[in-house]
Amino acid sequence: MATRALTKGLLGLRHVRGPTVKVSNSGRQFATASSIISPEPQTCSVRDKMLDLPLEKQDLFRVSELFTVKDLFDARVHLGHKKGCRHRLMEPYLYDSSLDYDIIDLDKTAEDLRRALDKTAHTAYGGGIILFISRRRQFCHLVENTAKQCGEYAHTRYWQGGLFTNAHIQYGPGVRLPDLVVFLSTLNNVFQQHVAIRDARKMNIPTVGVVDSNCNPSLITYPVPGNDDTPVAMELYCRLFKTVINRAKNKRKQMELLHSLSEPSEPSS
Amino acid sequence: MAALCKLRFGCRSAFRFSSSVSVRTSFSSDSEDGTRAGAGFAAAFQRQAELQREAENSAPDQSGSIPGQEQTFASLFQAVPVRDKVVVGNIFHVVRDDLYIDFGGKFHCVCRRPAAGGERLQRGSRVRLKVLDPELTARFLGAKTDTTLLEAQAVLLGPLEEREAQGRVQKQD
Repeated sequence: MATRALTKGLLGLRHVRGPTVKVSNSGRQFATASSIISPEPQTCSVRDKMLDLPLEKQDLFRVSELFTVKDLFDARVHLGHKKGCRHRLMEPYLYDSSLDYDIIDLDKTAEDLRRALDKTAHTAYGGGIILFISRRRQFCHLVENTAKQCGEYAHTRYWQGGLFTNAHIQYGPGVRLPDLVVFLSTLNNVFQQHVAIRDARKMNIPTVGVVDSNCNPSLITYPVPGNDDTPVAMELYCRLFKTVINRAKNKRKQMELLHSLSEPSEPSS
Repeated sequence: MAALCKLRFGCRSAFRFSSSVSVRTSFSSDSEDGTRAGAGFAAAFQRQAELQREAENSAPDQSGSIPGQEQTFASLFQAVPVRDKVVVGNIFHVVRDDLYIDFGGKFHCVCRRPAAGGERLQRGSRVRLKVLDPELTARFLGAKTDTTLLEAQAVLLGPLEEREAQGRVQKQD
């Protein structure tokens, strides 16, 4: 809830990102209270209404209909690595820790996946930038295509040091960072945690990550315990994220049309 | 005595009446047991079809219920991948003599093309494998966790014969 509110507040500032932003947990006031560029009150209220709609309704994007536990099972999402590769912090997500091969509990996965897809949908609905990251060469083409098909971004190459933390110098002043980072595999090529996880945390960017039994889930905002090595599982995740993002964007277009029909004097943003 | 007989007759006729009412078939006569059995099956089939439709309709409402899904995963999951298991795999990539075979586990395995009858094995062929290790890992000196190769190890036993595939299907049935 706090993360959602934080993101909403950050979304309200489309052009300015910096230490001057002060956000607090005081309800729905951030878009107007902390914005430095003051918009007209009318557009603000209309945009607020549109942004509040998903918060009022439970599961506005019908994320729970997208998959079942059986689908996850068929996509081999429950298969983890061997016992020796296990990360200590993944033990709560495992079905039975005494087995030689780790099996991830799909009930927990289903719940976490729904939460993650919901977060992705909310971000896409609010017009946020989503960045897909995966350092698995086997799936780099798939991830890039997924991002292209839903109109978002992907980074599947070597991660240079300060891409988030030093963005204003590496890319230029006033660059906009992603509002959500989706890790389809949290490890890099040498089985260490991807640097972007720590950097996104530093920059207050919420992260969604598919964590396998050898990954560290602690720094990720919405961890989804699941298999990240099998092509079937990766295709399932990519399909789900793509569907959810497209659905959210279509919903946003619908709401904008509705509001533009009801209030013809609204300036187009 | 007469009262008992009347009661029994009354009960039986009531039962027949209820069974005939629930059936929408052409067997409206309720005199024989044979028609009652046929009528019962049709009624049961229709009831099942209605239940399925209701279940499908109410599935989106129930999707948030966790106890139902908990049963589902526990019932779906039976066996852990075990060593020395003979499975059927599917070749999904070929690089000259190396066949990349997926057998339903977490990882694929890479086998060398056999000298005898190797030309038949192309992308999409189904083969029999003996899985030696579903994941090749080892703990090296000074390491905290195992190092994994992200591959399985299997021995190629040969292509899946048509007769074997049919026999397996019959056994499953």
